[in-house]
Amino acid sequence: MVMSQRNSRFRMGQVLTVLTLGTAVTLTGCGGGTVSPNQANGGSGSSQTPITIHVFVGKDTAQPQAQVQLYHKLTKEFEQSNPGITVRWSTYASASEENTTLQTSLATKQGPDIFELGSTIVPTASATNGFHVLTTQDWLALGGRSKFFPAQLTMSGPSSSQDIGVPEYMLPFDLVYNKKLFTQAGIQSPPTTWTEFVQDAQKMTDPAKHQWGTVMDPSDPYDPWHIGWVLTKQLGGDFLSSDAKTATLNSQASVQALTFWFDWLTQFHIVSPNSLTYKSADELHAFESGRIGMLVMQGPTLMPSLNTSPVKNDYAFAPMPTIPYGMTSLPAGGVPVETFVSGQYLCIPNYVTGQTLQATLKWLKFVTQVPQQQAFFQAYGYMPANLNAYNNYAPLDTPTMKSFVTAEKNAYPTPFSGAWGNLEVIYGGVASKVANEIATNSYNAANIGKYLKTANAQVQASLQ
Amino acid sequence: MASKWAAELGCLRPLVTSIEVGGVTVAVVPARERPEVGGSTIGLTQSGGRRRMASRPPFWMMVPAVLLLLMIVVTPFLLSIYTSFIKLDQYTIANWTRAPWVGLENYVTAFSQGNALGASALQSVWVSVTFSLATTLIITPVGIVAALLVNKPFRGRGAVRAMFLIPYVLPVFVNAIMWRLLFMNGWGLVDQMLANLHLASLNTFWLIGPKSFWAMVIADVWASWPFIYLMVLAGLQGISEELYESAWLDGATHWRSFFSITLPMLRPILGLALLLSTLNHFNNFTLPFVMFGTPPAPQADVLPLNVYITSFQTFNFGLGAAMSLLTLIIMMVPAFFYIRMLRLGEATS
Repeated sequence: MVMSQRNSRFRMGQVLTVLTLGTAVTLTGCGGGTVSPNQANGGSGSSQTPITIHVFVGKDTAQPQAQVQLYHKLTKEFEQSNPGITVRWSTYASASEENTTLQTSLATKQGPDIFELGSTIVPTASATNGFHVLTTQDWLALGGRSKFFPAQLTMSGPSSSQDIGVPEYMLPFDLVYNKKLFTQAGIQSPPTTWTEFVQDAQKMTDPAKHQWGTVMDPSDPYDPWHIGWVLTKQLGGDFLSSDAKTATLNSQASVQALTFWFDWLTQFHIVSPNSLTYKSADELHAFESGRIGMLVMQGPTLMPSLNTSPVKNDYAFAPMPTIPYGMTSLPAGGVPVETFVSGQYLCIPNYVTGQTLQATLKWLKFVTQVPQQQAFFQAYGYMPANLNAYNNYAPLDTPTMKSFVTAEKNAYPTPFSGAWGNLEVIYGGVASKVANEIATNSYNAANIGKYLKTANAQVQASLQ
Repeated sequence: MASKWAAELGCLRPLVTSIEVGGVTVAVVPARERPEVGGSTIGLTQSGGRRRMASRPPFWMMVPAVLLLLMIVVTPFLLSIYTSFIKLDQYTIANWTRAPWVGLENYVTAFSQGNALGASALQSVWVSVTFSLATTLIITPVGIVAALLVNKPFRGRGAVRAMFLIPYVLPVFVNAIMWRLLFMNGWGLVDQMLANLHLASLNTFWLIGPKSFWAMVIADVWASWPFIYLMVLAGLQGISEELYESAWLDGATHWRSFFSITLPMLRPILGLALLLSTLNHFNNFTLPFVMFGTPPAPQADVLPLNVYITSFQTFNFGLGAAMSLLTLIIMMVPAFFYIRMLRLGEATS
């Protein structure tokens, strides 16, 4: 009996030891013990050590095949000119996927070696302190900061000494309009003030024909802040204070801006009530049906889709109106914002070190050179962030492209805050709530201020 | 049956008992009746210690499973508990082991009202509970009726049974996209039909506002009733036809047979089906996520969706973890009954 108990204890001890060790091994495996490709390649290996870099880019959902072909060509060219370096690439199809991969990679310190991040997520990425800060030498290796559009560099980092993102391409926003509907309504030129915008939209609106002056998408998670921020800036406000320490979502300008956007439906009746449930894709689909006069805050990436739609011969781009509704000039503090600085940036997580880091910098230099930048434009309409790509290049020397370049030169950066990502989502929540009220006939314009006040407190809590 | 006959005949002590498994009779020999070979019971050795070793289940064989459970379930669970007590956000995620400890702050925030983004956690709990209960209550009679319809043989029964499974085998996101299109305002089929029948305005919003809850319920009912149907159909196969014949001879109507024979006999499997169904609906993330996107209407902001938005869109993992643990506590209530039911089943068998 005693023997049996001893045996039992012994065996239990063995089991516990195995479990403990097993767990320790498992946990180590989950944590920093795992050797990621970058770690394996990093460090002080010889220059002959083969290196594989993983590039994580946004998926071009409009032309995925063109993207595959282009990346195949680019990686082949790069690998030929950089023996020993292999490039693997993968894509994310949504902002959610982009966020999730970013978060898991930073937490586990393994993942892609290069992230392609949107301009408004770069501040959040910077706030994590999980990305490589580009040194002067790095910039020189990339060909210098001067080769990029100056406005694009404002979103590379909180200051020029703390840059984490290299501009890859830019996406300035314009207004796109239906020339055919403009002609039918007797409108000579696109609006330059929001008063003209509303008047023009009213001329084109004919609910009996399901034809509307414009369209909106308050159910989209990200689009509402685009128009909301531009209108707020024109009215002299902002979503954050200049030092990005205080949330100002509940300012008079901000409330006025969001109210004006919903006035399109409730006061001016220039958008279909169906718009209340629209997301970005629904909005575009509505415009492509040929029954929408104007679509605001749209970039050049829209063009491939428009070119295969019923309005392929009827659309044109124009700068966004800059004078607030009911005014003939900008109010005190108002700025003529046509677009915010928008585009894609290439960022290197700081778990990438040694030779892998040098290899990633080579890739960054490669894709920001003129031929590659022009190839991006040719393949799927991404506007080069490299200034020199516009020299003597006919496809970028068109009235539409010039309109976008002008918009880019007048682009304003959004506040560089780590809480900007939260702000975007929270602002989308406010727009969604207002849309809910309108849909259920319980809308009260005064509630917009109330919702923005709550949102402001939530954003303030997420500021560092 | 064999043992019963033997006992009744009085010729033999019932050495052998039998059970029926899937129509096959399996003989079970009680341990004390095992035949002996060479003076010792088969499978046991002369030594007392070894005999005990042999009779003890080989627990060590569970080690791989336990290790996997530790890795897949226990470790993330403990990490979730830890995360719910720290301030884990975009500022600390790259160095999350050093994130500041905030105690119960995340739990307090989860319970507080005034969320600008969709619904508060409390509101989401309510949405999820009502959604799972409403869906389960609707699909139960639908599933039972469908199972009864195809239980009796008829020409083409196989095809009908296969058709009934179509909603269940469709991927959830396909179902969600389909219902999103059907419920689109103005031009969606649902609004068009309601307007043509003069039952509602063409501008009846289903994807935002209070009706979004019912849109979600309808879509989920369409997709999930075959689950109850399958479970009930399986249960019906175990009810002996003799019971119905006896009841018929005694003059029982179909209704009486259904309520006095079918339902009582189905009770165990139906109870299990209802529990599993409630748990599945409570955890449904894909349907509302694809159907409404983010942000959803507060009336359709189910808890899993709220946790996702909080954690992955606003980078507030601490709060997201606290909300997840609250979900776990809520889910433990039906889980408790489920486990109790299983134990009850074991005891009965």
